[in-house]
Amino acid sequence: MKDKPDQETQQSKKPYRKPELKKVALKPDEAVLGYCKTSNTRGPGIGVCDSPVRCYVIGS
Amino acid sequence: MAVEFSKNQDMAPDRVCVRIADIDFALVSVDPALKIQIQGASQDFLIPEATPHVTIETRWDDLSAVELSGQKLFESGAVWQLYQSDSMYMFSLSSKAMGSVPYEVAHVRKDWTYGEALLHRGYFDMDKSIYPLEYPLDELLMINFLSLGRGAEVHACGVVDSHGNGHLFLGQSRAGKTTLARLWQKEKGITVLSDDRIILRQMDEKIWMYGTPWHGEAGIACSVRTRLTRVYILLQGKTNEVVPLGRTEAATKLFARSFLPFYNPEALEFTLGFFEEVAKAVPCYEFRFLPDRGAVEFIQRLKD
Repeated sequence: MKDKPDQETQQSKKPYRKPELKKVALKPDEAVLGYCKTSNTRGPGIGVCDSPVRCYVIGS
Repeated sequence: MAVEFSKNQDMAPDRVCVRIADIDFALVSVDPALKIQIQGASQDFLIPEATPHVTIETRWDDLSAVELSGQKLFESGAVWQLYQSDSMYMFSLSSKAMGSVPYEVAHVRKDWTYGEALLHRGYFDMDKSIYPLEYPLDELLMINFLSLGRGAEVHACGVVDSHGNGHLFLGQSRAGKTTLARLWQKEKGITVLSDDRIILRQMDEKIWMYGTPWHGEAGIACSVRTRLTRVYILLQGKTNEVVPLGRTEAATKLFARSFLPFYNPEALEFTLGFFEEVAKAVPCYEFRFLPDRGAVEFIQRLKD
């Protein structure tokens, strides 16, 4: 003999929603600390990266 | 707590301790010729002494013949690369402005509790004090240590309002974090923890937000923590408005605005789960705002 469906269980079940794939925008340079923090911190900011050519983009 | 050090470089300490997000780091010079100097905002995170969670020993070395052995795990495309061997991770940090030899190499145990930072003596003035954990190394150590079940660092401005509530404004670069931080700073009774980096941790079943030394252009860094009350994902808008976010969407957006060890699957799994907990614990909104005082007043009036 089959059990009757539990009405309370049926009511508490959420309706099925098909899984969706969503893209999330990530800024990879920032996410991996691949940039200068500020204009005063160019990576090794111990005064040696004093190049007239900026090494990296500021990403604060 | 401010700790004073002698300005006489001969008296520079060979051991300093900092506390960031209730995690204590000890930086120890094992080389008499290497004098440590904590610089900038990190000075506000100094503590007199601690039983550290993480200890980094540091010394001068000649890195021109360093062997980057092991498997290359990650290439940041900028200053740092990560390698791993059986027992250790190794960061290699290089700057084109300095030369082809790494300016620093850091070997770290795989539980991230102990490491050694070697600085290439050919690049530095050894008569001057130095901070061997200069960005990005200090942050890399923190991010990895957090990812082992302790919390996460997010790209955010953190504000404590006059009632002690913590507001977290997340955004990638140019989203307006620093602008908002400067606006909040002008308000009475407000503490801004950071204009760029906040650490989140779960302690006593609550989510806490901590200031960090890694500030943005506004230079705001405060070593205080407060309980997180609301999360806002920043977007520039034509008016001030909030749109509530569902948990999954909020967790995803937190993930996209955080600093993670992408080479470590277990760390990513923990962090995703942690952000789900954050999204479950507090209301999360998308916050479209105008970059003026009206944005601050809007948040202050907002009721969940």
